[in-house]
Amino acid sequence: MTTMDTPAPASARSQPLAPGTLAIVVRLGLIACIGVLLSSLSPGFATTDNLLNILRQASLLFLVASGLTLVIIGGGLDLSIGANLTLCACLSAAAIKSTGQPAAGIVVALGCGALVGLTNGVLINRVKIPPFLATFGMLWVAQGIAYWFMAGQVVYGFSPAFRFFGSGFWLGIPLPIWVMLVTGACGVIFLSRTTIGREVYLMGANEAAAVLSGIPVARRRTLLYVVSGLMAGLAALIYVARLNAAEPGIGEPLLLPAIAAVLVGGTSLFGGSGSLVGTLLGAIILTLIVNALNLLNVSASWHPFVTGVIVVVAVLADAAVNRGARR
Amino acid sequence: MKTRHLRRIGLISVVACGLAASPAFAAGEVIAAFTKNQVDPHFEGVRAGVEQMAKKMGATVRQYVPTKPNNITEGMSQLEDVGVTKPNLVLFMPIDPKAQLPTIKRLIESGTPVLNYNDKAGDAPYLAFVGQDDYKLGYDIAKTLFDHLGGKGNVVILEGIKGSNTGDERKRGFDAALKEYPNIKLLASQPANFQRLLGLQVMENLIQQFSDINGVIAAADASALGAAEALKSAGRGNVPVVSINGVPEAVEAVKNGSLLAIAEFNGFKIGCVATEIGLKAIRGEVVPKRVVIPGAVITKANHTEWLVPYQQRTCPAAAEYVGQ
Repeated sequence: MTTMDTPAPASARSQPLAPGTLAIVVRLGLIACIGVLLSSLSPGFATTDNLLNILRQASLLFLVASGLTLVIIGGGLDLSIGANLTLCACLSAAAIKSTGQPAAGIVVALGCGALVGLTNGVLINRVKIPPFLATFGMLWVAQGIAYWFMAGQVVYGFSPAFRFFGSGFWLGIPLPIWVMLVTGACGVIFLSRTTIGREVYLMGANEAAAVLSGIPVARRRTLLYVVSGLMAGLAALIYVARLNAAEPGIGEPLLLPAIAAVLVGGTSLFGGSGSLVGTLLGAIILTLIVNALNLLNVSASWHPFVTGVIVVVAVLADAAVNRGARR
Repeated sequence: MKTRHLRRIGLISVVACGLAASPAFAAGEVIAAFTKNQVDPHFEGVRAGVEQMAKKMGATVRQYVPTKPNNITEGMSQLEDVGVTKPNLVLFMPIDPKAQLPTIKRLIESGTPVLNYNDKAGDAPYLAFVGQDDYKLGYDIAKTLFDHLGGKGNVVILEGIKGSNTGDERKRGFDAALKEYPNIKLLASQPANFQRLLGLQVMENLIQQFSDINGVIAAADASALGAAEALKSAGRGNVPVVSINGVPEAVEAVKNGSLLAIAEFNGFKIGCVATEIGLKAIRGEVVPKRVVIPGAVITKANHTEWLVPYQQRTCPAAAEYVGQ
């Protein structure tokens, strides 16, 4: 892992970042617009408590979406993250319950996540199944194991020591936000400051060129899926610690929002471009929408519609700005 | 030639014996029981009830559950599967009543008896409907909370899935109770889709907006448990939360005071009674067209009955509920 510290050539570093910066500005603008609108409409919005509340809610979505972002930038796709989260949450919850050791749960969750990710990598590299199908298959496998393992039951009730991980505070800031910031920062450094990170962009933009320039594409790809799996495992821990329960239906509803967070964040589904900061903003935007709808007490019938419109607006704004920048 | 004939006869008799040994030709009837998912313990209760009553009455059960929760495509193909395998009795609950009605009608026309249970599945010649009144459950539990609050205070509602029969009927019940209590103010009514995470997050959001919430009504246990977590970590664990269903985890929460009360939506009883009524109907007995099982309000005072695991409960007799 000595390459981790090697700075990338200056030209390679600045090239994919320039349009990325613009995309981030657009998203910050969108968040600011929603924020200004909301604070004028609702007294409960612009408070420190609510901002921390939004960030804490966004952290779970970000963790799931962050690994996915790396995979998508590298030209792949990981549909198994939701089911992976479910499986890791159920297994680790059971491990904590039976041993009484939070550490056992942490080991099980991260191990389970990495193993599912590794299986994805092997299916894609060795068995040559396209990422969509391989990870779609793993979705069912992980979900199936979770159903079988739980047999319709819910595992609940954990020690305060473990729950601190999800519901505790450090320096006045909820722990999940710290986890989000630390993993996000590691990811940003990995993508922009390491050779492997730069190789990931090249792999996603043009795989043939990446192979020709001597990048071990298969190994890099496996790494990305393992990281994605690890993130799902980490998110599972936060989930269990926050909600004090694990049941086999928890991860599935997170898959589409995670994909949406990545896309709203400006990462191209075709690979080769995008950023984790964008995904962070995407996760915040999606969380903000639900927060706004709740605070304004908008009728349930309108929720899907409003969410859809804002996602489309975010993507359109991005496209328009990109077109403008190219001219 | 003779040996070949003999061999064929041998083969046919082996196949015939195989068929006879398969459940479709065994003494008892075959029941195809549909449930919506493997996630919600409620349906675990339904399946346990069906199994117990079927065993008692000498029938065998094939469970049909979509691998993906409430997946309509899978639900449809399982219905088509039943159209081919022709069980003696189908116990059916819809995932999407409108989409599944034509297939169900065709199934009934082709001679397969179908009993509708748990959720109403639209207008078709079913043997009977066995279920509970979601409107009444919503009404009863809302009243329980309002009475607990002394008839005045501010409440929020965590709705189910908009457009689902269960969610909408329960909401209608909440609203009806609200009308009877002029001093209860509804601060907000937001969807939590029967989910735990949404229950938590929606509650966290509402706490930001309203500092004076006196009570919470949730359309299902999972959302209520999520909301109770949110209230607890905001230091408002004393705000009473009520819900509908009564899965063991939630009943334990009633026991330790995290939830105030639950309106009982009892999958186990529904499974038992539906099986009994259905089997009696296909055995030629006259059965009531509609059996509505009343739901108790589960509180700290009476909760022990619902802490018993489904497998260890005993089916009630359908006669208890007929004519109610």
